Amino acid sequence: MNALLAIAGNTVRDAVRNRVLYILVFFALVMIGTSVVLASLSYVERERILQDVGFSAIRLFGATIAIFMGVGLIHREVERRTIYTILSKPVTRATFLAGKYLGLVATLWLQLAIMVAAFVAVSLAAGAPLHPGHFVALALVAVELAVVVAFATLFSSFATPFLAACYSAGLYLVGHLTRDLRAIGATSDSHAVQQATLWIHRLFPDLSALNRGLEAVHDLPIPPAEVGFALLMGVAWSLGFLLVAVVVFERRDFR
Amino acid sequence: MDGETIVRVENLVKDFRPGFGLRKKRVLHGISFEVRRGEIFGFIGPNGAGKTTTLKVLMGLIRATSGRAELLGHDVGESAYRRQIGFAPESPYFYDFLTGREILTFYARLCDVEPARIGARVEEVLAQVGLSDAGGARLRTYSKGMLQRIAIAQAIVHDPSVLFLDEPMSGLDPVGRKEIRDLIVRLNADGKTVFMNTHILSDVELICDRVAIIVAGRMAYEGALAAFDGDRKLYDLTLASLPADFAEEIEAQLGVALGGRGERVTLRLGEKELNELLQAALARGARVEELVRHREHLESLFLRAVEAQRQERRS
Repeated sequence: MNALLAIAGNTVRDAVRNRVLYILVFFALVMIGTSVVLASLSYVERERILQDVGFSAIRLFGATIAIFMGVGLIHREVERRTIYTILSKPVTRATFLAGKYLGLVATLWLQLAIMVAAFVAVSLAAGAPLHPGHFVALALVAVELAVVVAFATLFSSFATPFLAACYSAGLYLVGHLTRDLRAIGATSDSHAVQQATLWIHRLFPDLSALNRGLEAVHDLPIPPAEVGFALLMGVAWSLGFLLVAVVVFERRDFR
Repeated sequence: MDGETIVRVENLVKDFRPGFGLRKKRVLHGISFEVRRGEIFGFIGPNGAGKTTTLKVLMGLIRATSGRAELLGHDVGESAYRRQIGFAPESPYFYDFLTGREILTFYARLCDVEPARIGARVEEVLAQVGLSDAGGARLRTYSKGMLQRIAIAQAIVHDPSVLFLDEPMSGLDPVGRKEIRDLIVRLNADGKTVFMNTHILSDVELICDRVAIIVAGRMAYEGALAAFDGDRKLYDLTLASLPADFAEEIEAQLGVALGGRGERVTLRLGEKELNELLQAALARGARVEELVRHREHLESLFLRAVEAQRQERRS
């Protein structure tokens, strides 16, 4: 446990030193601030436009930072050979991977908290109402980031950062499309298309289940059962990706 | 385990695939050796011989294709027993945004050192490697020699009984080399078994008890440094002012041609021949200029081993 916390803590320290990270957070804050300007261009539903833009900025920049940081998570340690001294200690490869993962998730949640604070400040300043649905949706964004970091970590455990970034971005997009794809497939007359779209939906993480921004912004109810299911799904996918990452990582030679 | 053997390597084979779909390349061809408790063991070989690969197998960083490798009686794939070993890699790199104290605290936590003891232990180790004054500076400001010392410090911060050092003196100036050498000897005197990968033979000769030579992934020699000469002791005797007839007698007796008469001549002799010749030479008025025990240098043994392997591969 000591080793896990030490590795996670060190990962946070390492991550918060990354200047690119600050630039991305800065742009996210600018984007949230700009939502006031964008909302002012409309005559109707200004508050909703403001929150819609803010919400999208949080999700987009959150995912970008998660992929950007996640894909170099393991590769950097191998390239810099810092992994040699760590794995020669009584630290299993699974502990190392879990520590790196937890450290990065903690960093991302810290940044998410900053973006959420900006979102709340802008909403309050513009007189846009805030209700529990917003915070439920933001909590699901936090879960989505944990899933994204998990698959970015998996790809980082065997691929170069560029390839890992391509795989991660691809999986992120697919994850947001599988539900629509399944819905489209269900309307097809072909049994094969129906089955194919059904299995794509089952095999890839359904990230759209973690996107409740629309309901939050439009003050629509978010059924607790769906929230619970999305949470469980997020945790299960994160653990699944991490387990595969551990299996891949266990077999790796550090030459 | 027999209680004395700390490292046991048996028929270790390692194949690497240079690229996807390419043929495997064998870098270790069934090597075997042992390291015993309390010794400084020098693992030497030319560049690319397989020293670092062997060490990485022992550290669990790469997996052997076949064969056995055990540390303290445990398979190298296990991790719990690693509390008892320390490893300093070649050209070490650490998180350079941390200070010397912070990095040692980090490694102490990885090794489950009791939290209340970490602070004191870190200071103790910094003093041991001579970095007490630099402990508060960030590692990015450290010189190569200081980083080498931090590498050893992180390897001993949890007080292990066995140390693995990969090229610990590489790239250091003579002063730095001596400091690291002295540190290794001190650690060994404190009871730590030291396994040292290196190709700096002079350092090995100075501090190692036993050596193993690896050439092209095959073991070429394993034994004590003192055993190089074999059982037969040889001496180099230098004589001067030799009477001409005595010189001829020596030539006939030993079957050698001496360079000159009355000048200095040096002969390599066994113990028995030395006694006889020495008595005769003194009786005949020759002058003994020098008498030294002949020792084979590690370098000549090393070069012979390399050449023998090359010839074996050619044939």
